[in-house]
Amino acid sequence: MSTVDRRPIMTAGLTALALAAGIGLLGATAAQAQQQPPIKIGLLPPVTGPLASPGADMVNGFRLFWEQANNTAGGRKIEVVIGDTTCNPDQALAQARRLVLQEKVNILVGPLCGHEGPAVAQVSKETGVPLVMDAAGADNVTKWDRTPTVVRTAVSSSQIGHPFGEYLYKELGLRNATFIGADYTFGHEVTLGAIKTFTALGGKVAKLIWNPIGTKDYGTTISTIPADTDGVVAVVVGADRIRLFEDWYNFGMDKKLKIYGGYWLQEDMLSQVDDRAVGMIANSLHYAAGIDTPENKAFVDAYVAKYKRLPSWFSESAYTAALWVKTAIDSIGGKVEDRDAFLKAMRTVQVKAPRGPLKLDAYDNPVQNVYISKIAKVKHPVLGDVLVPTPVKTYEAVSQFWTWTPEEFMARGPYKR
Amino acid sequence: MMRLLLAIIALAVVLAVPAFAGEFWTTLLTQIMIFALLALSADLLLGSAGLFSLCQASFFAVAAYTTAILQVRHGVGTLIAAPAGVLAGTLLALVFAFAVRTRGVYFILITLAFGYIVWGVAYRWASFTGGDNGVTNVPLPAIGPLRVTGTTQYYYVVLVVVLLCVWAYRILTASPFGLSLRGIKSSETRMRSLGYDIGRHLYMAFVLAGVFASIAGVLYVYHNRFINPVAGSFPVSVEAVLMAIIGGSGTILGPFIGAGIVLILRNWVSGFFHYYTGMLGIVFIVTVLWAPKGIMGLIARWKSGDRGEGV
Amino acid sequence: MRSVILQAINGISLGALLFLLSSGFTLTFGLMRVVNMAYGAYYLLGGYIGLTIARATGSFELAIVGGGLAVVVLGYGVDRFLIRPIGSNHLAQVLLTVGVAFVIGEVCLAIWGGDNLKIPTSAYLRGSIVLPGELYYPKYRFALILFGIFAAISLWLLYHKTQIGAVVRAGVDDREMVNATGINVDRLFVLVSALASFFAGVAGVVGGAFLTLNPGAEWDILVLALVVVIIGGLGSLEGAILGSVIVGLLDAYGRWLLPEFSYFVLFGPMAVLLLFRVTGIFGKEH
Repeated sequence: MSTVDRRPIMTAGLTALALAAGIGLLGATAAQAQQQPPIKIGLLPPVTGPLASPGADMVNGFRLFWEQANNTAGGRKIEVVIGDTTCNPDQALAQARRLVLQEKVNILVGPLCGHEGPAVAQVSKETGVPLVMDAAGADNVTKWDRTPTVVRTAVSSSQIGHPFGEYLYKELGLRNATFIGADYTFGHEVTLGAIKTFTALGGKVAKLIWNPIGTKDYGTTISTIPADTDGVVAVVVGADRIRLFEDWYNFGMDKKLKIYGGYWLQEDMLSQVDDRAVGMIANSLHYAAGIDTPENKAFVDAYVAKYKRLPSWFSESAYTAALWVKTAIDSIGGKVEDRDAFLKAMRTVQVKAPRGPLKLDAYDNPVQNVYISKIAKVKHPVLGDVLVPTPVKTYEAVSQFWTWTPEEFMARGPYKR
Repeated sequence: MMRLLLAIIALAVVLAVPAFAGEFWTTLLTQIMIFALLALSADLLLGSAGLFSLCQASFFAVAAYTTAILQVRHGVGTLIAAPAGVLAGTLLALVFAFAVRTRGVYFILITLAFGYIVWGVAYRWASFTGGDNGVTNVPLPAIGPLRVTGTTQYYYVVLVVVLLCVWAYRILTASPFGLSLRGIKSSETRMRSLGYDIGRHLYMAFVLAGVFASIAGVLYVYHNRFINPVAGSFPVSVEAVLMAIIGGSGTILGPFIGAGIVLILRNWVSGFFHYYTGMLGIVFIVTVLWAPKGIMGLIARWKSGDRGEGV
Repeated sequence: MRSVILQAINGISLGALLFLLSSGFTLTFGLMRVVNMAYGAYYLLGGYIGLTIARATGSFELAIVGGGLAVVVLGYGVDRFLIRPIGSNHLAQVLLTVGVAFVIGEVCLAIWGGDNLKIPTSAYLRGSIVLPGELYYPKYRFALILFGIFAAISLWLLYHKTQIGAVVRAGVDDREMVNATGINVDRLFVLVSALASFFAGVAGVVGGAFLTLNPGAEWDILVLALVVVIIGGLGSLEGAILGSVIVGLLDAYGRWLLPEFSYFVLFGPMAVLLLFRVTGIFGKEH
């Protein structure tokens, strides 16, 4: 089994090493590893609280990578220290400070919740400890409110919205769409990003409905969808994803209209919905467990073998953040104490992650593929019959600025409801 | 004499903390002092007047937001932004103070409703408050050429402000006003028959508690350097009261001890023990069952030589 | 017009769920003067246990009963060993029961994890009913409304038409007097408290089937139940019924008509009501 486990890391590692600047550093020997103190990485997931489940995915993905990599990078041992943010910015800040000041971590990775992002970035700014922003998507961080010591390895919220608007217009043929968006920053950025590209092509918004997170009753929302709309787009999170799914059928909407997920049916909740989901457009995301590449297959196999469930984008994202960090550390021979060198390495190396090839743009956000995925039913050797989001269309090398120039985008300002 | 000596030693230790304890404990102590001030504000109502307020976080957050928005968006200096924050929180307290028309469990519940309204506004009025992203990049405080540049300096700023507040609090609770509040707590009817205007006393107490909470809010925003709706949420209000009770309601040191226990549990213990929320729950249960007067109560009992089991 | 009707049904179905939770809260307060903030956690735990039962047996009905009974056992333990010893101090009760809720939440997270879990219902509760005018409505919600009405009527009858109810009502009004008549008030407390716990557990299963269960759900639902109790008046069964309907409707219409102010719509009227009628609509001064 261990040979299977090693495959993604070997592929990824080799590619990365070939591309990385410090190619000659393979010589960093075992002897050196013993002399140097371990590199400490602080991970900031919500272990408890309402987002404990994505938090667990994040920890699992991160741990899986380091296990495969033998807990070493750049010839030094890696130690992962976890701070539980509970998805509360105040707590995220306190934990980030603890990791930096008490645990003396060399690098911070996280947080997961969007609104924790600015809090942890604040600590990075104060202390100069590099922050590899994983999962938190706030557009601001890699656009109007950048911090020199912060790079993002996951995704910028509106980056997944833009391709979807185009997909709605060109591939699904929608002209008069209704949008249901989660009413908080992430929801605004994804939804309004999709609307921007959709309307730019000539599409019309029949109605835009903002739903607070934790909406108990989508019946209310559903009954206000205009009758003349030709399709409904959902950008919802958390428990709301299941509630919307159930209510959509319960209120008989499946007989009247089509619904498409901009951000909706993900790996972690698919076991809670049934076969009605098969064939639905699930997400426009930078990851889907059904991506058909050797890198992803190896990753999914290893993940399923260890945790008995499909990886979500949070799992992949943490795994890739670890891969990216390792690639950068390798390229500078493990000298993470030189923070500038580490950040420079993060900004220049390219990685081939389970989700595809990645590199940072000039604004520290990954240029990456965005996948429109559909739900497929798959017979999995370990998990049995499972629903898997499977890409049906790939937008390659999508920039956070989509097709605009950074200057145009920046001048336009953030997406706000 | 003994007390004075103890106080001097304590002050010396507190002053020397940044020198020997390292940056982590310095920031944690800063945070503890700020939340202790918030707990003290809740205890002004609870320990003195017997009112359990669940909206102290509202004044805390409104003050913090006001200061943050003035500093970040309008470039206003600390000299104006900080007092403006306290003023805004106090104005809100002037309105919410009408809650003293109610007592007991109704007071708890109405302040809970107030708390939710403030949190809801902070969260949903995104164009003004920044929604769930909040307001970021709050600078460190600076008045003219005097600038705070790091955690150690800010520690001393907080220390001075909090000590001044404690001093004011002492004067307040020892004053005739404070004594009549205690009178109201033990017997409202008696105080009324003695001719006290109960409503006005409680109204004043509520507003003053709002002032202390607002000062804590301003200190908080410069400590965290950002503000977010969570600061005004229900759990923050509950914790403020719980800190006071754990430490010992009706005392000055109590809220500090309580804030210390809760924050150390959350910020430090959580690093190596993941069930700390459950542990916090157990602390609450144990406090109620075996130490209803909090840690200070235990100390008092120990000092008076009563080591028996009775409460 | 369609929307108006739909929202009304939506509101009432949420109200039915809230009634199950708030009736227990209000009755235990009325009779025992206990403010139990752990009812939200009872709801969550009942739901999770129901989920496990439903998965193991495939029976939603068993899940409801099992979830309810499990919480009765827990609720009895909490009452007997934690709440009883501290007496009638509301403050201590709030602190203690918040602590209990924290512990229960932690245990639930450790056992069931952080996923959003939905309790599978019986086949006859799935799908929708078609009302005149092509109006689809989920069967489950109708069943929930009926269940809520059934629960309200049974409680009302128990409260107003039986001997036990008469004693409970007398206890709410004047405890000392009931004590003086030689009735075993303790046993009465246990009974009412068990009933309240049972309802909370049942609410968890019934609610978990359409709202899903996840860490934090206990506080979301508790806050709504508190608003119900405050609006209706602490200690009043009629208040809990009316309050549930009002909160359900406010929530539904508020989200529909004024989505930006949905918190205001709920808490604004409550605050105003409290200022002018401290005890809620039906409450009595305690």
